[in-house]
Amino acid sequence: MNKKMWYTLAACAASASMIGMTAAAEEEPVTLTVLAGQSTTDAGIEDMIDEALAEKYPNITLEWECVDWGNDFQPKMQQYMQSGLPDIMIGKAQDVATYAPQGILAEIGAEYLDAGLDAARENVTIDGKTYGLVYNALYQGVYYNRDMFEENGWEIPKTQEDLQAIIDACKEKEITPFASHMVDTWSIGNVTMQFMMNDVFNKDSEWGDKFRAGEVSFSDSAEAQTAYEYNKLIFDNTYEDTFSLEQTDCDAKMVLGEAAMKVSGSWSIQNFLDIDENFNFGIFPFPNQTGDSKLIFEPNITIMTSASTEHQDAVNKVLEVLTTDKDLAVEIYDYTKTASMLKDVTPTFANPSQEDIDKYASENMIVDVTLGNNQLVWGGFQEENAKDIAAWLQGDASFEDALAASDARVDASSAN
Amino acid sequence: MEKKLFRQYLVLVIPGFIIFTIGLIIPLFLSLRYSVTSWDGMSAEKAFVGLKNYIELFHDKEFIDAWWFTIKFTIGNTIIQNVLALLFAVALDSGIRAQKIYRTALFVPCLISAIIVGFIWLKMFSNVLPEINEWLGTNFNFLLFGDSKTVLGGLLIANNWQWVGYWMLIYLAGLQSVPGDLHEAAKVDGANAVQRFFHVTIPMLAPAITICVVGITTGSLKVYDLLVSSTKGGPGRASTSIIYQTYTTAINGRRYGYGSAMTVTLVVVLLMVAMIQVKGLRKKEVQV
Repeated sequence: MNKKMWYTLAACAASASMIGMTAAAEEEPVTLTVLAGQSTTDAGIEDMIDEALAEKYPNITLEWECVDWGNDFQPKMQQYMQSGLPDIMIGKAQDVATYAPQGILAEIGAEYLDAGLDAARENVTIDGKTYGLVYNALYQGVYYNRDMFEENGWEIPKTQEDLQAIIDACKEKEITPFASHMVDTWSIGNVTMQFMMNDVFNKDSEWGDKFRAGEVSFSDSAEAQTAYEYNKLIFDNTYEDTFSLEQTDCDAKMVLGEAAMKVSGSWSIQNFLDIDENFNFGIFPFPNQTGDSKLIFEPNITIMTSASTEHQDAVNKVLEVLTTDKDLAVEIYDYTKTASMLKDVTPTFANPSQEDIDKYASENMIVDVTLGNNQLVWGGFQEENAKDIAAWLQGDASFEDALAASDARVDASSAN
Repeated sequence: MEKKLFRQYLVLVIPGFIIFTIGLIIPLFLSLRYSVTSWDGMSAEKAFVGLKNYIELFHDKEFIDAWWFTIKFTIGNTIIQNVLALLFAVALDSGIRAQKIYRTALFVPCLISAIIVGFIWLKMFSNVLPEINEWLGTNFNFLLFGDSKTVLGGLLIANNWQWVGYWMLIYLAGLQSVPGDLHEAAKVDGANAVQRFFHVTIPMLAPAITICVVGITTGSLKVYDLLVSSTKGGPGRASTSIIYQTYTTAINGRRYGYGSAMTVTLVVVLLMVAMIQVKGLRKKEVQV
């Protein structure tokens, strides 16, 4: 063997060992911290993600901190903004508007965003930069017992008069018109935003900005007042123990045919189908004053990443798994009973309300609630207003008091 | 020698002093500082606003309502818990059978977290008791958490269920330390059982009463966790305590400065109540 050959062999060996070193470095164990603000449907998806990640990137471990989005996500974020953010945060699309302007979120790479539907990007993009990867979506409106509607020959109501006719017919048959669980104040806040979307924001998408500018107010706006008053309509036509009734019990009553309708969101589907997999239900938008209500669409699970993470490569790998592993996506959508926001991924669970959703989608009668949630934020505003509405329904405050309280809270109505 | 003792005292005191300072004194002063700012808890800017937050507190209906609920809850608890704890202690001290079983049964709830107690009573009022109602064919209203007029009563039941056993043990210890010859002497002087209870037992229990009254009062003024899992401050705002209001204002409402001002008022009230109670009750204590 001549000298040249020895050199070549030595060089090959060195390169091979370098490659080996690089591979070893890539497989260094990495632990990423994840703060997951979950809706009621989401608890459990962390195990699915862990499993899929372990299969492809066994060196990456996710350290989950799962909290209730409504009550605990914002407090946790505030805490972490002082002490250092987790590598990954899972919240809702509206969180992007709250936290991106603080400069703490990283831009999501185009390769991951491209896997998602274009409709998912709009409300998580600020100044041309997208800070959230929207993973699934919920639909909100009035869930109705389809069999009951068909048996009684009730048409889908488009106006308040139509709705009142169904309420009257229900009462005649001793059926509770609306299932509700007002013990959960968040449910009052949620339906109020549905009402606000169709009676206020669909007419004026900048109502919140005008509210902060002092041009409109709850006390002066007939539309906003109407939205609040719909709560009374529900309250007067629901279970007597609505302020003591928990969501699962409420949904069970609906499935058992004790109630005809429920103003709610896709999170109820999980309960409906768990209680009776053959429960036949549909969805329609809560009728507004002008008879042109749209079904509400809410981008739900939204993945955000920290701008100061020390493990960007590992974070990207997690995003890659989430956006490319279609089996994982289907598993999550089937479990949460939610709609896909990824291209070419369709949940396989039987959703009786899907045909209604498709119909409204084809008629372009679907609206993204993130608009309303960005105009009037949930934390500190909508959820506080819901308490005042509950106090009004309980007779502890007047309607005017509830409106005035919302007006007084104007400074808390915006995230920034 | 004195120097050596002094050094030993320092060694014993300093760790506690450091923990107390870091955990309590510094946050207290930070709270004072934030209370004169308009800080939102997120941004770097902490603009000085002077006493604006404190002035606003006096016009804030939610803050006043939260204090009003807290005061009612505290008064209710202090009276009911002290009376029940003392009665149970007297009953257990009278030599009844199966004393240990009763004592354990009454004490166990205080070992449970208040969060769990909230869940237990939420289920009791919403599911268990109405179900029993149906079995018995009765029509009692057990939905206490679902109505603003009855929610305070429901919370008092839950809180007393949890804590009566704890305070009962303190009274029981006090009763067992009352010298028997005092009762004997009173008996010789012709005092009946009721007179002995009010003129011998109660004065001798004064130190225990001080501990229980101050403990129950300050504990009730700080109620939060029980509410989180049971009523979430509702219906509406009917059971929103001052700490609950402070938390939602400072954290959810992103008004950290204003929330800090609320905290400062709570600290001042807690200190005042504790001082007044300790001073007032100490005067009534007797030494044997």
